[in-house]
Amino acid sequence: MANRSHAKDHNGISSEVRKLVAEILEMEAIAISPDAQLVEDLGMDSMKALEILAAIEKRFKVKIPEESLPKMTTLNRVIEIAQQYARA
Amino acid sequence: MPVLKSQQAVPTSLDFEDIKKIIPQRFPFIMLDRVTDILPGERVVGLKNLTGNEWFYQGHFPAKAITPGAMLLEAMAQAGIIFFHFHSPQQVGTTYLLGSVKIRFLQPVLPGAQLRIEVTPIKVTSSAGILNGEISVDGRLVAKGELTLGIKKSNSW
Repeated sequence: MANRSHAKDHNGISSEVRKLVAEILEMEAIAISPDAQLVEDLGMDSMKALEILAAIEKRFKVKIPEESLPKMTTLNRVIEIAQQYARA
Repeated sequence: MPVLKSQQAVPTSLDFEDIKKIIPQRFPFIMLDRVTDILPGERVVGLKNLTGNEWFYQGHFPAKAITPGAMLLEAMAQAGIIFFHFHSPQQVGTTYLLGSVKIRFLQPVLPGAQLRIEVTPIKVTSSAGILNGEISVDGRLVAKGELTLGIKKSNSW
């Protein structure tokens, strides 16, 4: 979790992931509460979840395993997963 | 040396009757005549021969027949179903949904064309996938896109 201690990377990844999630869920980035449930509250389905995962992979040039998908429950969790794999 | 079940089950090509056993679409919506290549998890290539008698040319357009882009997309989606069928055989009998699409139509496609439809994976799981699709006619790319397909186990949504 070295990336978490890197303030610049943390901020960059966090805002980038928020933008990607907002674009795929067709919402304003600012309207996504970090702890809102992506499925129950924001209407994310398995296809959108996969699109978010693929967008993060493309943006940060990383590979994230399929096992991460069920863990993508909130924006904060998605950011954590991105930070875990990204080496930005 | 034992042969894996998955290797036994995968044909290298499909004819029209085989295709109908896999995709749920029926006349007049089947946009694959033949599948020529199946590499599970890697690639599916299909062919569709367009004749001047296709139903959609009646209205698109009465004065000049041009294949609707939506039908080219449908061809990619059907090739995607074939892809999933062999990628996730346990999902047989499910409902397939098209989630999102980014597509570019590069050339008009006219009656008489043979479409070569190829799909390859970008990111695929057992329940959804993002696929690259390309359609070419006589070796020339006429449409390319990225489509997200979802698989549902029931017919309710």
